[in-house]
Amino acid sequence: MRDIFFDLSVRSVRLNFLRSILASIGIVIGVVAISSMGMLGANMQLSVKQQLSSDVNTIMISSDVVRTTSTAGVPATSQGIDKSTLNDITNAAGQNQVIPIHRTNTQFTIGSTDGRGSIYGLNPNDITKFLTIAQGENLKGGDDALVGPNIASNFNMNIGSRIKIGQNNVSVTRPSVRVVGILAARGFASDGINTDNAIIVPDTWYTDHYGDKDVYDQVNVILQNIDTINQTEAAIDDKVNRRTEVVRISDASSRLSSISSTLGTITTFILAIGSISLVVAAVSIFNVMMMSVNERIQEIGILLSIGTEKSEVRRMFLYEAFILGIIGAGVGGIASLVIGYSVVSAMIGNTTYFFLPESILYVPYGMIIGVVVCVVSGLYPAWRASNMDPIDALRNE
Amino acid sequence: MDQTPLIRLADVSKVYHLESGDFTALNHVTLDIAENEFVAIMGPSGSGKSTMMNQLGILDVPSSGKLFIDGKDIAKITPLERTHMRRDVIGYIFQKFYLIPLLSAYENVEYPLILKYKKRDTTGKAAAVLKSVGFDEEMSSHRPNQLSGGQQQRVAIARALVNEPKILLCDEPTGNLDRKTGFQIMDILTGLHKEGKTVILVTHDPKIAEYAHRTIELEDGRVVPT
Repeated sequence: MRDIFFDLSVRSVRLNFLRSILASIGIVIGVVAISSMGMLGANMQLSVKQQLSSDVNTIMISSDVVRTTSTAGVPATSQGIDKSTLNDITNAAGQNQVIPIHRTNTQFTIGSTDGRGSIYGLNPNDITKFLTIAQGENLKGGDDALVGPNIASNFNMNIGSRIKIGQNNVSVTRPSVRVVGILAARGFASDGINTDNAIIVPDTWYTDHYGDKDVYDQVNVILQNIDTINQTEAAIDDKVNRRTEVVRISDASSRLSSISSTLGTITTFILAIGSISLVVAAVSIFNVMMMSVNERIQEIGILLSIGTEKSEVRRMFLYEAFILGIIGAGVGGIASLVIGYSVVSAMIGNTTYFFLPESILYVPYGMIIGVVVCVVSGLYPAWRASNMDPIDALRNE
Repeated sequence: MDQTPLIRLADVSKVYHLESGDFTALNHVTLDIAENEFVAIMGPSGSGKSTMMNQLGILDVPSSGKLFIDGKDIAKITPLERTHMRRDVIGYIFQKFYLIPLLSAYENVEYPLILKYKKRDTTGKAAAVLKSVGFDEEMSSHRPNQLSGGQQQRVAIARALVNEPKILLCDEPTGNLDRKTGFQIMDILTGLHKEGKTVILVTHDPKIAEYAHRTIELEDGRVVPT
């Protein structure tokens, strides 16, 4: 059978049902605020992380451009990464994918429209390792080309369109490539390969027209396991930059972690705003508990005078606060799921991460915090009730 | 050597410190009450009756002097031990019944058992005691505010008796009842005295005081010598 003090608390809540419910609404709002804001923050972090970390497992190696020149007025230039350096990188990278990249900027003409953009020369076999072809197929060689989605839509390109590469000059016959596929949007890629406004051609076509055979502008190493990033970088550095700084090695993980930490700060901030509502709720619970104590002074006097221990009186009032907390947290938890889901889908437009533990755990957290806030708010009223003088309390009408 | 009586007040005083100065509610009272006595305490208002009740009920401790109840020096035991004595040694019957409003008649009687044994009563003792004071069993699930004064006082007596205390402390037990019901309640108390309880009765009413075997008169905080 149940604890009689719990029964007394339940009956007291039921007796003052409206007042208790109103006080619990404060807790409901508080729980909803912190749960749904927490979930919003978590979903934001998760989706940004997902977007960024698709290519965060890439080490970017470029020639060390910072070179001093003895001749004044001659700009520092990058020499590119040569064949032997590439071999060293490949050896140091072990099992990981090494992708040498040619890149330059070019003018081009589609139909009668001129444009400007990047042109990448890649080994066709490497393309599918980090790029997604949305339409059409991969390069086979020859004068095949892939185009980024922005170029494709800006210039109304289709599979089979031809692009003339080079400066538009009537006296020169320009080489042309044929579009065989259109890439999926990549956005701002943290591996340095921004293909949305670029044309991708086979490395053979590139070196045929631009020279630079066996000299690469960038080499990317795609890691199988992100956790090995530091040791792989160290291995490459050790091998290639043994005597002098030949290449610069960088990765996006530091940027990812700084963005994550910024988002974490924002999440904490909105959680703090949410918890203000819990403070307000705590005040209203405290108020209701004090009312309950003050209305029941004579009853407390009866309980104490016939031999109820102080701790039992305290327990009775803490149960009451706990019940208010459970009601508030229960309703708040359910409301958080509904409201949190709506807010996440409205503000992020993506609920893929909603039911992941990192996000959904904010609901039980919020509920526990709501109950704890209630019980803490009930501490002083309960203490006050248990420390009444039974004689004075009995005399109270 | 004398055996210590159930209740002994030795030179007990109670002084309240008020803003208007000290007020002596009990003034060097010395008094013994033996086991199985039926004592009435009488006196005009302000004579110290209530203060005396609070002392005998272990709701308060003397300012000076010694108070022994059931062999224990009340000023020397811990507050928790005093609480346990109120639960186990004394049964309280009040003028205003003082039932717990949120509990049913049955639960009000069961309550002291729960305090003592820390669990709900499964022995049927609460129901048996309720029946023994003539309470209508059908009303045992009623809340106090659904009962008549006489019924409430029966519940209160049952509550006072359920932990088998040695002392029954009755503060104007008939004060809120009509005469006929009052006498019924007094008959119950007389019966309990015959069963061996020590009954202490505070009253204004000389007719009620007649039930007692000894009357103690208080005036200005002192016992009036007889």
